[in-house]
Amino acid sequence: MIYIIHIYINYNNPPDMNSVGEACTELKREYDQCFNRWFAESFLKGERSGEPCGDSFKRYQLCVQRAIKEKDIPVDGVDFMGPNKDKPES
Amino acid sequence: MKLWASEHIFNHPWETVTKAAMQKYPNPMNPNVFGVDVLARGVDPAGRLHSSRLLTADWGMPSMAMSMIGITRSFTYAQEHSIVDPKEKTFELKSTNISFTNIISVDEKLTYKPHPDDPEKTMLTQEAQINVKAISLSSYLEGVIAKSISANANKGREAMEWVIRRLNSEIEELASTARGSMRAPMAAAASEDK
Repeated sequence: MIYIIHIYINYNNPPDMNSVGEACTELKREYDQCFNRWFAESFLKGERSGEPCGDSFKRYQLCVQRAIKEKDIPVDGVDFMGPNKDKPES
Repeated sequence: MKLWASEHIFNHPWETVTKAAMQKYPNPMNPNVFGVDVLARGVDPAGRLHSSRLLTADWGMPSMAMSMIGITRSFTYAQEHSIVDPKEKTFELKSTNISFTNIISVDEKLTYKPHPDDPEKTMLTQEAQINVKAISLSSYLEGVIAKSISANANKGREAMEWVIRRLNSEIEELASTARGSMRAPMAAAASEDK
């Protein structure tokens, strides 16, 4: 029985697509699909259209930020488009 | 400090390599990289795409000593900032560990560009800078184990409560069985006295 459950889980959640928060993997998959399509078909071809994935990104982000807090991961939240900063000691 | 650098040529055009590099993980060659999450993303005024990502690595089965004290998994994290410039055709990624930064510092930089002599090819230059801070291996292991002991201490206390409850209920059972078997001869003795 446990073997069957194991197979079912692995089929629906392929073990390769992992998010830091287990619950976020599906949301990540949705966002990734949207982003990868835009990246390949618009962005790299020089189209100036904005990324259309805002909604799925927001849902995915809420989940990820929660997981990061829960797991106490020392993410550097500095404005990432700014100048490079030295890594803080932790 | 240790520096390491290498160059590699892919027989594929830059767009193909860039798309692939963006979706590099997970892959069967790097089983340790457990997951990648996007933390932030945006296009800057110059039209370049910035991404900040969190990489989660799982280094697999710990040593027997660690598994004996309950460490079954050891995740480490790195943070990556990348910039894709579709006009200049450059894809630059910089990553650094955010776990164990008091012990070790690994900074990596990868740059994908079209090969200067052949636009159907892509050149990757890769550099790493490794700094192990002055701490002995034994001291590091002690720290890791202490962390695990602390994490397991609560479980140990819960376990104690569970065992105590179980023992108490066994004692209660024995006591009520004893009362039951004493009652019969006592009742018999009482009826005899009459």
